[in-house]
Amino acid sequence: MQRIVIKRDGTVERFQMKKLVDAIFALLEGLDLPDDYEIVFKVAKELDLKIPEKVTTEELDYLVLKAIEHLIPKNFIYDTLATRQLLKIINRRIDKRFNSFKEYLNYAVEEKLLKPELLNFDLENLENAIDYKRDYNLDYFGLSTLKDRYLMKDRNFETIEKPQWFFMRVAMGIGNTEDEVIKIYNKLSNLEYLHSTPTLFNSGTLTNQYSSCYVNVIDDSLDSIMDKAKETAFLAKYAGGVGTDVTRIRATGSKIHSLNAKSSGIIPFIKIFDTIVNAIQQGGRRRSSQVMYLQPWHLDVEAFLDLRETTGNPYFRTPSLNTALWMPDELMRRIKEGEPIYLFDPAECPKLVTAWGEEFKKEYEKCIEKAEKGELNLWKKIDSRDFYKKYLFKLAKTGHPWLTFKDRHNEKNPCPQYSVINSSNLCTEISIPNSPESTAVCTLASVNLAKHIKEDKSDFDWDKLKDTLETMVVALDNILDKNFYPSEESRKNTMDLRPIGIGVMGFHEALIKLGIPYDSEKAVETARKIAKFMRDITYTKSEELAKERGAFPHYYQAKYDYPPRRNAVLLAVAPTASISIIAGTSSSIDNYFSNIFSRDTLSGKFIVINKPLMQQLEEKGLWSEELAEKIKAHQGSIQYIEELEGKIDKSLYKTAYEVSPFRQIDIAAAFQEYIDQAVSKSLYIEEDLRDKMEEIYMYAWEKGLKSTYYCFIDKTVKGEKYTMNVNKRGERRGFGLARKEEKQLEKELEEIERQAREKYGDEVVEAVKSGNIEGCPTDPLLAKICPSCE
Amino acid sequence: MAFIGKTSVRDNIRLSETPKYPVFRELYTKQKKAVWFPEELNIQQDVLDYKSLTPTEKDLFDSAVGYFASSELLVQNVLGNGFFPVLTDPYAKMSFSTQMFMENIHSDFFEIILNSFDMDRRKVYNITLEDKLLMEKQELIVRAVDRITYGKADPDTLEGKKQILTSILLNNIIQEGLFFYSAFAHFFAMKDTGKMKNVVSGVELILIDESLHLQNGIEAILTIVEENPQIVDDYHFVENIRQTIIDAVELELNYLKTKFGGTTIFGVSYNELEKYMKYIADRRLVELGFDPQFGIDQNPLKFLQKEDVKKLTNFFEVSSTEYTNF
Repeated sequence: MQRIVIKRDGTVERFQMKKLVDAIFALLEGLDLPDDYEIVFKVAKELDLKIPEKVTTEELDYLVLKAIEHLIPKNFIYDTLATRQLLKIINRRIDKRFNSFKEYLNYAVEEKLLKPELLNFDLENLENAIDYKRDYNLDYFGLSTLKDRYLMKDRNFETIEKPQWFFMRVAMGIGNTEDEVIKIYNKLSNLEYLHSTPTLFNSGTLTNQYSSCYVNVIDDSLDSIMDKAKETAFLAKYAGGVGTDVTRIRATGSKIHSLNAKSSGIIPFIKIFDTIVNAIQQGGRRRSSQVMYLQPWHLDVEAFLDLRETTGNPYFRTPSLNTALWMPDELMRRIKEGEPIYLFDPAECPKLVTAWGEEFKKEYEKCIEKAEKGELNLWKKIDSRDFYKKYLFKLAKTGHPWLTFKDRHNEKNPCPQYSVINSSNLCTEISIPNSPESTAVCTLASVNLAKHIKEDKSDFDWDKLKDTLETMVVALDNILDKNFYPSEESRKNTMDLRPIGIGVMGFHEALIKLGIPYDSEKAVETARKIAKFMRDITYTKSEELAKERGAFPHYYQAKYDYPPRRNAVLLAVAPTASISIIAGTSSSIDNYFSNIFSRDTLSGKFIVINKPLMQQLEEKGLWSEELAEKIKAHQGSIQYIEELEGKIDKSLYKTAYEVSPFRQIDIAAAFQEYIDQAVSKSLYIEEDLRDKMEEIYMYAWEKGLKSTYYCFIDKTVKGEKYTMNVNKRGERRGFGLARKEEKQLEKELEEIERQAREKYGDEVVEAVKSGNIEGCPTDPLLAKICPSCE
Repeated sequence: MAFIGKTSVRDNIRLSETPKYPVFRELYTKQKKAVWFPEELNIQQDVLDYKSLTPTEKDLFDSAVGYFASSELLVQNVLGNGFFPVLTDPYAKMSFSTQMFMENIHSDFFEIILNSFDMDRRKVYNITLEDKLLMEKQELIVRAVDRITYGKADPDTLEGKKQILTSILLNNIIQEGLFFYSAFAHFFAMKDTGKMKNVVSGVELILIDESLHLQNGIEAILTIVEENPQIVDDYHFVENIRQTIIDAVELELNYLKTKFGGTTIFGVSYNELEKYMKYIADRRLVELGFDPQFGIDQNPLKFLQKEDVKKLTNFFEVSSTEYTNF
């Protein structure tokens, strides 16, 4: 086949494989590999099939990338190669337009993409701090994600930001001085910590919105509902996730005095928000999201459980919203002890909304008494166990609502004189007092624990960790004053409380490096130790900052028995779904999902491999393509692969579903002991353990978790394996039974019989054939002619 | 009673704890667990993507949607009019009628795509009439099935059994197991390039369903052959079955050649697809007990590995396909 290449200027030339091979060799430069020929040969072979008769140079670059990408599961070296090829593609186009970082900045400011203030820094100084070698810290999935969504694009959606320029631009939008900027740049570009996605998107830009989450409260009035609808629309526009408490809204059938009519309840109003979120998710780089929180004593709770069902009346379904329960202790206690639950209308029992702990219990009992005496218009008594079962069924089926615990959040509230905590946020890690007049905002960053291990892998590098955490406190506190607040209520909350949220990622990767299995008591201890350290360091730093910059303003208006600090709350463990991809590590405090799995994101679908496992196997000379296939065939588990027995510590590499859910909860609980906000914990439950869900979620409550998040249940029915051979026919022979073969079989039998006669003599053979022996023969040759064996 | 035969409405209405063909009870349960609804996916999300497809990409997408849209209910017809009436086993009936139900879901899904992207309905449904090669693909099935409907084939005769077997082969193996798999690859290539992700999430669910339908077909064929060994005595017939599969591959390759020609679409070239189709066809041959024809032992479309491993979805970004309704 004669192939041609169409060049950028439109000229045509003959396609030469040699040129391509040279280009692939160039990617390997400096890696000093013993088997470079073999690697290049494999890529070239993939490519040969891919390249069509007519191809443009641009397409060719892309096909090379794809060819390498598809080899990634075979060996980690292809990940490095793919990263380099992608870098080449990104850089080549940018180099044509900009000679330096400074040129890029000037252009972006002129185009009104970046803030002009950025140009006030000593740009030469900053440019000198840039280290392009750090591009190699990124892996392929991370770089692809960066390129697709994080790197700045011009008005024609063409990428104009190199990865290192991106880290520097983000740092410039955060640091107040050049020293601060460089410090932050160094930490970010070495992937020691990362800010949350909205900060990475918007830092230094004219959008200027750094925060991940907002938490607002809707009051029981049409005014409030419509006001919050508008606020939500604006919060959503700037890529923030919104958590909303709807418990105050009166229940279905509740009287509306001004109209002398009855209310239609919370569901139709929630539907409004579903529509808003759906409308706004079209625009930005990431669709907006919202979660509705309801306390489960609300009379409309049963309809609330059904919001995410896919069948039924579409007016009572909210496919684009998330839902969560804000569960008081008293209701959990009733579920545990099998006592009935009463449902009320918040218009009739308003005190239940804000009361918590013992006070809630008292108010709840009062309401029950009133109800039983016939003094309430609207109430319902239900069996608590049935409710709990039904709830967990919905959770397993639709993934919603999530379960969070009202009293756990409120008993750790550092500013009860400000307000109660009405709900958590979209990812359930926020715990900040708020009210209809004050919308909580949280700005997040997460430290990558895997990058804070001592060289000899004996322990965490505590000094380095301290340094990173302190940098994070300052950086996040800086952001609060630079941030754009889409609503007055959200500005007020931040200016009163100055909350920040420092979380973690790479916990599992760090454990692997330290040789500690995730599913172990040692891991729980490690979690506790890390969390305590984070608490001590960040609090000390915030207290120091208070001396310099003042404490959070509400501190001075109230009386609290702790020393002044800059931020009311400092710690929150977020799921880090996207930023852990950029950092190339395990997300949050979660176990690696599997040792090989695919990840569906906005940027497409990627194969993810547990890198530490691959590296360890490689070091021991155990890695091979066959082994990779085996791991794939075992759904990413290595626990049942015999050839690894005794070669590596398998317990380090359990998949998420292989770790007991109770242990998953233990680890979250250990973090929660010291995290002042909440820990967002997804639970991974094997289909076989589905019957144990009641026990598992009860355990989460008893262990003192503030929040749980998604409940992943392993799906048992899967599609046909696409790239592996599967035997669907079993022993049956189907059309293979055709006559011709039968004759052959007879011949084979005759041959076996002949051999057997030769070996054992006619007498034995005849005895076997007639079945005249005790038991079947153990000799394989004889077994073949034994009628009962056959 | 044999697996297929003449039935009255009184027959095969009692379930048993020890079914004669336990595999169909298993397949029924698996299909039940796989049930999903198009509303679970946020197809709307892909509208902007759809508008930004290049003309060749759009053409491939439209053709794939058109082929599925006009084939899903055809598959249902084949089962309903041709095969279902001769099934004697209650669990086999449940398994196949669940398949028929699932075809509704698929049609519904493509209908939503059609509406969401404001596609030309007439054009989409007529694609199998206007594109000569697509028409040929569909005609292959229609002809064979029309020969056996309305009692034209007698399931109690050997000849009738052979005709019924052939129609199941064409429907569940060739249509669902070959032609659909060709279009699946087009869809998955889209997601591999980061396009039409929510639509493809739906196609991932369809792949799960179709691989169960394929299994339905394989089990039915193997059962019929096992119960009627005379079928394989007819060497001419056996050869014919084999040739039908190989001819179908040829037909599909002709179609792919016109679509892909000398270019790549969504990063995939004709050469890769040719090898892929042969790989899939070898699988089907082996599943029915034949020797492989093409000797392709590896799937050349390596991105399909992503369908073979556990999946973790960023929920707030892409519709998840990992929850079970049961």
